[in-house]
Amino acid sequence: MDPNMSVSCVSISVEGMTCSSCVWTIEQHIGKLNGVHHIKVSLEEKNATIIYDPKLQTAETMQEAIDDMGFDAILHSPHPVP
Amino acid sequence: MPKHEFSVDMTCEGCSNAVTRVLNKLGDIQFEIDLPNKKVCIDSEHSVDALMETLKKTGKTVTYVGPK
Repeated sequence: MDPNMSVSCVSISVEGMTCSSCVWTIEQHIGKLNGVHHIKVSLEEKNATIIYDPKLQTAETMQEAIDDMGFDAILHSPHPVP
Repeated sequence: MPKHEFSVDMTCEGCSNAVTRVLNKLGDIQFEIDLPNKKVCIDSEHSVDALMETLKKTGKTVTYVGPK
C-alpha cells in the first residue's frame, strides 16, 4: 500500500431515507466525490459509513454533500474539532 | 410567475422529501410534487437552468417537460 495514502473513516447519520432507491442514490453520488474510497449506506441503521482520504475530503464536506442532496445528515464525531 | 414542469425520477416519499428540501433551500419558489406521475411543477422567477441544477443535486434523473 502506498505509504503516502492516508485513510480516514467516518459515520454520518442520515435521516429521511425510506427505500433502497434513496440509499442507492446516496452511494452513487457520494461515491463519485474526489477522495472517497468507499461508502456503505445502511437503511436499517440510517447511517452512512464512508472511507475517505482526509487530504481531499473532511467529514464536514461529506456531511454537506449529503445535506445538499436533500437528506438530514448529522455528524457524530468522536473527537469534535473546535 | 412562470410555471415550469419537470419530470424527476422519484420512487418513494424519501425521494420527494429530498426534492422538497433542495427546492426550499433555493428559496423564492412555489412548487407542487406529483409523486405517482413523477412530476414536479415549479412556480418561480429562477431560470430553468437554475431549477434544473437544483433538482439534479438530488442525484436523480431530471428532464424538463416544458412551461405550463
